[in-house]
Amino acid sequence: MGIAERLIEDVGLRRGVSKLTPEKIEKIVSAVITGETGARLKAYAETCMRCGLCAEACHFALSHPDDPSFTPAGKVHQTMGVLLRTGGKVDPEFIYGMAQLAYTECNLCRRCVHFCPIGVDTAYIISTVRRICHKLGVTPQYIQDTAHSHSATSNQMWVKDDEWTDSLMWQEDEAREEFPGLRIPLDKEGADIYYSVIAPEPKFRTQLIYQAAAILHAAGADWTMPSEPGWDNSDMCMFTGDFEMMGRLKRRHFESAQKLKVKRIVMGECGHAFRSVYDVGNRWLGWRWHPVPVIHAVEFYWELIQEGRIKLAKKFPGPVTIQDPCNIVRGRGLQDKLREVTRFLVEGDIIEMRPNKQHNFCCAAGGGVINCGPPFKNQRVAGNEIKAQQLAATAEKGVKTVITPCHNCHGGLHDIIHHHKLGMELKFLSDIIYECMEKPEA
Amino acid sequence: MNAAYEFVTGPLAWAAWGIFLLGSAWRLYSMYQLAKKKDASSMAFMDWGFSLRSIVNWLIPFNALGWRKNPAMTVATFVFHICLILTPIFLVGHVMLWDQFFGISYATLPDNVADIMTLVVIGACLYFAGRRIMQPEVRYITTGQDWLALTIVLAPFLTGFLAYHQALNYDLMIILHVVAGEIMLAAIPFTRLSHMVFAAFTRAYMGSEFGGVRHAQDW
Amino acid sequence: MNRTFPLLLAAALILAFAQGALSQQDMKTLAPAAYGKLTRPAAQFNHDQHNEKAKLEECVACHHGGKDGKQDKSASTEGTPCADCHKLKTGGKGTALTKAYHKQCIGCHQAKGKGPVACGQCHKR
Ligand code: HEM
Ligand code: HEM
Ligand code: SF4
Ligand code: SF4
Repeated sequence: MGIAERLIEDVGLRRGVSKLTPEKIEKIVSAVITGETGARLKAYAETCMRCGLCAEACHFALSHPDDPSFTPAGKVHQTMGVLLRTGGKVDPEFIYGMAQLAYTECNLCRRCVHFCPIGVDTAYIISTVRRICHKLGVTPQYIQDTAHSHSATSNQMWVKDDEWTDSLMWQEDEAREEFPGLRIPLDKEGADIYYSVIAPEPKFRTQLIYQAAAILHAAGADWTMPSEPGWDNSDMCMFTGDFEMMGRLKRRHFESAQKLKVKRIVMGECGHAFRSVYDVGNRWLGWRWHPVPVIHAVEFYWELIQEGRIKLAKKFPGPVTIQDPCNIVRGRGLQDKLREVTRFLVEGDIIEMRPNKQHNFCCAAGGGVINCGPPFKNQRVAGNEIKAQQLAATAEKGVKTVITPCHNCHGGLHDIIHHHKLGMELKFLSDIIYECMEKPEA
Repeated sequence: MNAAYEFVTGPLAWAAWGIFLLGSAWRLYSMYQLAKKKDASSMAFMDWGFSLRSIVNWLIPFNALGWRKNPAMTVATFVFHICLILTPIFLVGHVMLWDQFFGISYATLPDNVADIMTLVVIGACLYFAGRRIMQPEVRYITTGQDWLALTIVLAPFLTGFLAYHQALNYDLMIILHVVAGEIMLAAIPFTRLSHMVFAAFTRAYMGSEFGGVRHAQDW
Repeated sequence: MNRTFPLLLAAALILAFAQGALSQQDMKTLAPAAYGKLTRPAAQFNHDQHNEKAKLEECVACHHGGKDGKQDKSASTEGTPCADCHKLKTGGKGTALTKAYHKQCIGCHQAKGKGPVACGQCHKR
């Protein structure tokens, strides 16, 4: 049992490994471990009691009940454990498996934190493994392509500068048919809100920008979007282990907001982007908190509802269930606000998946796993049998709609629902708000 | 016999306690220095309130999700750790020695209660060993270090029990027991048993990060 | 590992009880009435045999005198049982009975390098 028995061919991993020598591996492993880690890794490695309590936590392990090599401690044992035991004296083929495991079999979702009495942060350890893989140049092809895009364009999807503004103007144009007074204000200095999105939105989910503009317009918000790079809040470099690039991306995002002297940043319905801006990038940059306050769309919608700024023409027909995105639930504690917003929007029952809220199961797409692309898709879907069971249980009670306020969760659940033919549809909150809100000008 | 007993309860005991206390202090100090040097972006979030919140919540049996999903282990580990710590501290045989050597005397456990607690520790150790052999997810991650820690802990309880009941050769057993106890003390800073020293801090950090940054529970 | 320990334990228990049953009836012990119910087997002590073996001629070697917690090694209290002076619990002054026994017996055994020093060597089952 173990990663060596389930290797999947990937061009990026293969090319990276072909350039490795044992000397280079040893050098980089020790450079990262002595240079970039400290007491945290040391204490985790030493005090993990190998009790196996965390096995019950991980959707990968629960979906492969007979294979302990998918448990959190089992994954650490096969990767960082080996590096620490051998001092990095491993062969290139080992690095292939280590990289595949770290990039595609752990979503860094931190559910295992709720299971470890010692307080070992498996996600931190696996991130550190990825950091080593990045420095070794062994990264899956698809996610590395997005990281390259980040480096070249400051956005994840190779969106060119003119395409970005063009997309915004296009959406503004379209929306003005429905809301004649609507604007997508570009570079408005001193606005209350700087609205940032992930690059897949302009690339192939432009209706989300349309809907956000409609909601902000209807709420009478004073908002803006930047015309220059910095607009993309996503971050695949955080997940490949290219922390230098992650730092530059986060800095660019914050500085773009600072340049416009906005009061705060509102981020669209994405989990990983929120993690990168709210929790990870700032730390790499040495900022304890954020130079501009950051808030996630779920919390923002919650505020608008509290202030009575979203008025509904109708309610969305239930029953619905809710997918709690790890990065805003375990990452920001938004589970209750998410339910209040859902309650406000939906007529009928909210049928909960169990476990839910901060104990939810990850979608198995997050942490960059879905971004590793088609070669790993089957393994990813198979690794979340447990989510399929959760969804099926709600489907049996009549749920047709899964409220899913995260791009990664959308992708992950989409594949699971499709594979298991569950016939459920996924909705962002903004889909529902847009669909149900009063549109007086229309 | 007398010379051996005197040696193991004298110089060797001093050495064991010295290694345990100074070793633990040194490990804590050097770990703290390393954390300050290398983990500033984590240290910045350390918070007393959230640390305690996390520790308290994990000290309540069946409170954390991990405890609830592993009920047998929860019972075993709570009972094990409680008996493991309380038995030697309040044992008549041990308090007598404190009194004899340092004039320190305090409450003791009745012998039969201590005897049962000792059996509980031995039983728990056997249960842990059984898991390591039988449960695939535990077997998969078990290393020599883990067997070492378990053996080091089992030894003083097993020999203490045999000595108390004067089974086998008492004179030999009591010496073995004292040596086993001393090995355990001295091993705490340098083996898996160092979790006694570090667990509070790893837990505290997790609590601080989840409480202060993520506004979420870590249990 | 998990198979040998229960066996060992069982063997140990059998041995422990067998030993108790075989103890000599005429063995003299130190078990003053002051203790009431004993929590450990009475300490084995055959007065004459002990003194012969230890070549003790002066009673004062053990039967010392003293007052207010101060020992007087010159004042003999020959014939007085320890428990007459040493109470089970002291009111702050003097040495409690158990401690007096332990201090005196073990102390001497340690000094001479001979005689029982560990619990079970006196409190034999
Ligand atoms: C400096 C080291 C130690 C010394 C000098 C020492 C001494 C003793 C003595 C004199 C006894 C009484 C035996 C009897 O009644 O005949 C005893 C019993 C015992 N000791 Fe220790 N000990 C030491 C360390 C430890 C440690 C570290 C532990 C466990 C963590 C331990 C656990 C026990 C147990 C469980 C018993 C038997 C209790 C029973 O079954 O009633 N000891 N020890
Ligand atoms: C005082 C704070 C301590 C804490 C917070 C603590 C916590 C833990 C935790 C969380 C585990 C993980 C597995 C489980 O839950 O059983 C564990 C296991 C263990 N602990 Fe402790 N412990 C402490 C003290 C000690 C001490 C003083 C010893 C012995 C010297 C000890 C010996 C062990 C052993 C042998 C295991 C391994 C169990 C196995 O093999 O599965 N612990 N402890
Ligand atoms: S996927 Fe989530 S639960 Fe599983 S090991 Fe990674 S962080 Fe832990
Ligand atoms: S629960 Fe924690 S201590 Fe136990 S094996 Fe998992 S990571 Fe290690």
